[in-house]
Amino acid sequence: MAESLQNLKLRQKGVHNINQITKAMELVAATKMRRSQEIALASRPYAFAALDLLSNLSRITHEELPPLLQKREVVPDAHGVGAGRTTYVVVTSDKGLAGSFNNALLRDFEKYATRERIDFRDPHNTFVAIGQKAAQFLEKKTGLQCEKFTPLEKSRPAAADVPRETQGRSLMGFVRVGDYVSVAQVAPIAHLLTSGFLEEKWDRVIVFSTNFRSALRQDVLVREILPVTFEKLKKTAEELIPETGRFAELVKTHRIPLFTSPKPGEGGFTESSKKIPEYLIEPAPREVLDELAAHLVLMEIYHLVLEANASEHAARRMAMKSASDNASELSAALSLEYNKSRQALITREIIEITAGADSLK
Amino acid sequence: MKLAIYSLKKVLYEGEVASVNCKTAMGEITVLAHHRPLISVLMPGTVKVTDEAKQEHYFPVQSGFLEVNAMNQVKIIADEAQ
Repeated sequence: MAESLQNLKLRQKGVHNINQITKAMELVAATKMRRSQEIALASRPYAFAALDLLSNLSRITHEELPPLLQKREVVPDAHGVGAGRTTYVVVTSDKGLAGSFNNALLRDFEKYATRERIDFRDPHNTFVAIGQKAAQFLEKKTGLQCEKFTPLEKSRPAAADVPRETQGRSLMGFVRVGDYVSVAQVAPIAHLLTSGFLEEKWDRVIVFSTNFRSALRQDVLVREILPVTFEKLKKTAEELIPETGRFAELVKTHRIPLFTSPKPGEGGFTESSKKIPEYLIEPAPREVLDELAAHLVLMEIYHLVLEANASEHAARRMAMKSASDNASELSAALSLEYNKSRQALITREIIEITAGADSLK
Repeated sequence: MKLAIYSLKKVLYEGEVASVNCKTAMGEITVLAHHRPLISVLMPGTVKVTDEAKQEHYFPVQSGFLEVNAMNQVKIIADEAQ
């Protein structure tokens, strides 16, 4: 027996509503994705100018590198496992409905944890979650209460804003960072990571985040952001440009030049590199480098969060697209079934009437 | 001389200018054309740019860096003041 007409009608309505919602979400995600990308790209000139300055500075000064740029000797602990005091930063979204976006990242993080034998309960390890999903995941893993903190727009990084550490192992979360993160919002995160590094609470910081490669492709990337190295910074700045899509051509336009390594005898950079020793550095190379390193870390984290945000929206767009496609398909199948059973009902009624009329003769 | 001011949000200024006045860690300085190469740290304050048409532009900054190179180019990377 086919489903009743009322039932079919009800289901049809439900499917139709879902279709509308998912379609709307798809469109919203698409616009947000583009906007996130635009913001990320707008910071490229800054990134390259800063890197340029760093490379200039490091060539002229023969001073010791600032602590942020120094690699520390990582000693394995008593059991020969682990890699010293490390902070792991996991960047996810706050909300779900983004397909496999969060799952893919958390799965990769877990795989990495097993491979590197990271002990979630080891006091040497600190975990920082960016996004609700990461906070939930890490809470479950570490068995700690996540101290959540929402950075506010337009707030200057005050030391008091930054969550305090619980003794030994700790878990901190930055949630509801939201779309189109501002520099002021990531400042507390950067402040926390750099100050902990300088106070020798940890020797390195590893970030798990999603890299936006194209609207259809996002990869999970593992990056060591502290100690800072020039190559790593450069790589992040270059990765800001997606491989395909609207912004891919920007590489070619002159406004955003790709970074060219200042090697002698390689065009425009040669003259400037010869004259470099003449630079006057105020107040002192050391102080400028210290300051610059802190800025670079902030910039790097800003980029990471923006990339993750663009990826989140891209993933959500794809998920919503397939959801609305499925809903359309289902809706078509349902209306066919509805029409069929309506037709069957009419045919049956006609048969009954004609049969009734026949029997009266 | 050529000036470019970059912030993480956008390019604040790009073009030919007559002078740049800003507050650095060593005090307030004005950079004119053909200044000697210099790298300095900016302090919270306002960067005043006078362009070739004597028009003045102001950019409040929280922190940042000033780089003057030998090719008569000035680069400022700045954190905008909120």
